[in-house]
Amino acid sequence: MNQQSDRKDTINPFGKLMFLVVDDFENFRLSMRQMLRSCGADKIELVAHATPAIQYSTYNHVDVVLCDYNLGEGKNGQHVLEELRHKKLLKRSSLFLMVTAETSKEMVMGAREYQPDGYLTKPLNRAMLEKRLGALIQQRNALLPITREIDRENYPEAISQCLLLMPKQPRYKTWLMKTLGELYFLVGDLAHAQKVYDNVLAQRELSWARLGLCKILLKNRNFDQSVEGLKGLIAKHPDYMEAYDLLAEGLEMQGRPIPAQQILEKAAEHSPNALLRQRHLAELAGANQDIDTASQAWRQTVALGTNSIHDNPEHYLALAQSLSDLSEGNQDEDGVKQATEALNVLSRMEKRFADDDSVGLKSQIVQCRVHAGQANHREAEKLLGTVKAELEQLESLPPDLGLDYAKTLFRMGHDDQAKALLTDLAARYGDKPDVLQKIENLLDEPVGFRQKIEARGHNREGIKAFESGDLEGAVKAFTSALAIVPDHAALNLNLVQVLLRQHDESPADRSLLTRCQAHLQRLTTLPEQHRQYRRYTALTRKLEGMIQ
Amino acid sequence: MTDHNIDFSMVLASAVHDMKNSLGMLLNTVDELRAEHEQALAGSEKFNMLQYEAERMHNDLVQLLGIYRLGENNLSAHIDEHFVPDFLSDHMARHTPLLDGLGIDYVIEADDINGFFDEDLLTGVLNNTINNAIRYTKTRVLLTAREEDGHLVIGVEDDGKGYPESMQHTGTLNFKSLDFNSGSTSLGLFFASSVAKLHSNGDKTGTIKLHNGGRFGGGVFEIWLP
Repeated sequence: MNQQSDRKDTINPFGKLMFLVVDDFENFRLSMRQMLRSCGADKIELVAHATPAIQYSTYNHVDVVLCDYNLGEGKNGQHVLEELRHKKLLKRSSLFLMVTAETSKEMVMGAREYQPDGYLTKPLNRAMLEKRLGALIQQRNALLPITREIDRENYPEAISQCLLLMPKQPRYKTWLMKTLGELYFLVGDLAHAQKVYDNVLAQRELSWARLGLCKILLKNRNFDQSVEGLKGLIAKHPDYMEAYDLLAEGLEMQGRPIPAQQILEKAAEHSPNALLRQRHLAELAGANQDIDTASQAWRQTVALGTNSIHDNPEHYLALAQSLSDLSEGNQDEDGVKQATEALNVLSRMEKRFADDDSVGLKSQIVQCRVHAGQANHREAEKLLGTVKAELEQLESLPPDLGLDYAKTLFRMGHDDQAKALLTDLAARYGDKPDVLQKIENLLDEPVGFRQKIEARGHNREGIKAFESGDLEGAVKAFTSALAIVPDHAALNLNLVQVLLRQHDESPADRSLLTRCQAHLQRLTTLPEQHRQYRRYTALTRKLEGMIQ
Repeated sequence: MTDHNIDFSMVLASAVHDMKNSLGMLLNTVDELRAEHEQALAGSEKFNMLQYEAERMHNDLVQLLGIYRLGENNLSAHIDEHFVPDFLSDHMARHTPLLDGLGIDYVIEADDINGFFDEDLLTGVLNNTINNAIRYTKTRVLLTAREEDGHLVIGVEDDGKGYPESMQHTGTLNFKSLDFNSGSTSLGLFFASSVAKLHSNGDKTGTIKLHNGGRFGGGVFEIWLP
């Protein structure tokens, strides 16, 4: 007879464990219970959908979850996994097994933030289940000394246990090496983490180890090497989504946000269902002033949020903000459509997150802008009145709310109020560089994204002309840019620099100096912490010296 | 009127995908039926035939999809380290109901070694080869694994008549060698050969070898992975 079935352990490995079976087909649930029982399982709970599965895990300890990927309408298996792991309802020492009708893992490839401990492929028979599940349970038991410490967040001890088991458990070498690398990374011991990956790679080119190494390189600010490695990895494995995500991060850190966006667009094309990736893409595209792409990615993020633990009112808000940017000043069919969508998104947000007190105000601030952008000034002013009254009730104005409010004030022509508000914010958040950065950006460019793009284009032309020695061209380009964004600090200083150079060439022309003075005058309120402040004082002093 | 914008291979691929999932459900039901009516169905030739043919179709479709992705340049091997005896016994288990039903003996003789390969791709190859062995064997099927010449060698042997002269070969197959006129297209071998080729280490790539003999004097299929 066959030699496999009599290798059963003396102690039944299924007996002590608590199983949770999640499948929307009753027949499958029952046959799964039947199979589990015949494997020796005793404690088995059956549920049909995601919500009862999460409910059950909230109040009960579960050792093994067997969850079908496709659960009909609403949440799928990946959503269940995310929610259980994210809310820490399922311990690391417990197993989550995804049951799929597919032989490939493509559809699960979406969000890889959390991965199942294993896949079971339908059709499933008892013999397969016993083998596969038995092996996974055996592995779970063998690795328990490590996973238990991870659950306790005692990572140094988890590392020691990993090192201890490494020579004893050659069968689980891959798991041990992967986990060891991650643990070293988690505790910030990058040198040891790198050693783990180097060791693996010295033996064999394995993609997870290459990815791990690139992650370390990035963390060590070794951007170029990391980006090179990731590009190579993607060339070999065009379906390795984590590599795209990390490459985008690397390119961003290199200060190359446009290629970073392109990489994420490619990844989103391969695998459009990862919420976090769509969100990252939306943020990047927004920063790149590619508002069309940003809107589309925010739209996806919002849609994917319906069943996800990562759902957030900020996604709705960001979608409405980019739609508002797109529709601003455009009363054609497209503009009207975008404005309507923006208002719809905001109203959906207010309903969906009715418990969140801050949502109403945030929504109204954007609504003002949408109405103003469609020339519904009366509606906009009316809303602004309400917003003002509500803001006065607040004890302190959170920076993001303040910034968005200032943006609305600028758009509605209340520039003085906006500037006063931003000055006040800058004083209060002087210790927060990211907030200051946003304030500076808004003060520099308090205009719609189309004008921003135009002004930035002139600025680039100006720099190019200056570098090629065409001073006249540079002056013209910078002047055009400043016609759009007159208070832009860097632009004013760029122009001053070119004018001074012109003055060097024709010292008799005193009018050049007067023009310099006028531009520096615009920046007299520049705060000390501004990135351009040192350049500003240097140029001011230089000019003073020349005028005397 | 014809719409020239139809991407026919794409349409085919999604249809195949659908059929494959359908067959998966069907196979599941067949397994359940067998378990529910164990006594009545034990040794039922018709039932065994039903299961065997459904399994064969399922394998063909899996391979078809694999080859489609290969053509789209969208198939790459995600190589990881696996404990080979576990891997083999997992796959044997899938076929045990049919093997038991047919009264075919099955044995795994694998060294306790770790191997580097793409689990999903090898699953496709093994399922097909085991299924093929079930068709041509008389009484038994043997799965083997060993290390030789810096390669992991996984073998499937049977005690049937063996491969005909024309099919025995070593190395890799190309698409042109598929013969769509004869009864067997060798689609499975082409797939196995493609999967072997996707596995590389340094400058070495994998191959398949077909010959006769082995432990039981029947057909021997081997996939060599560097």
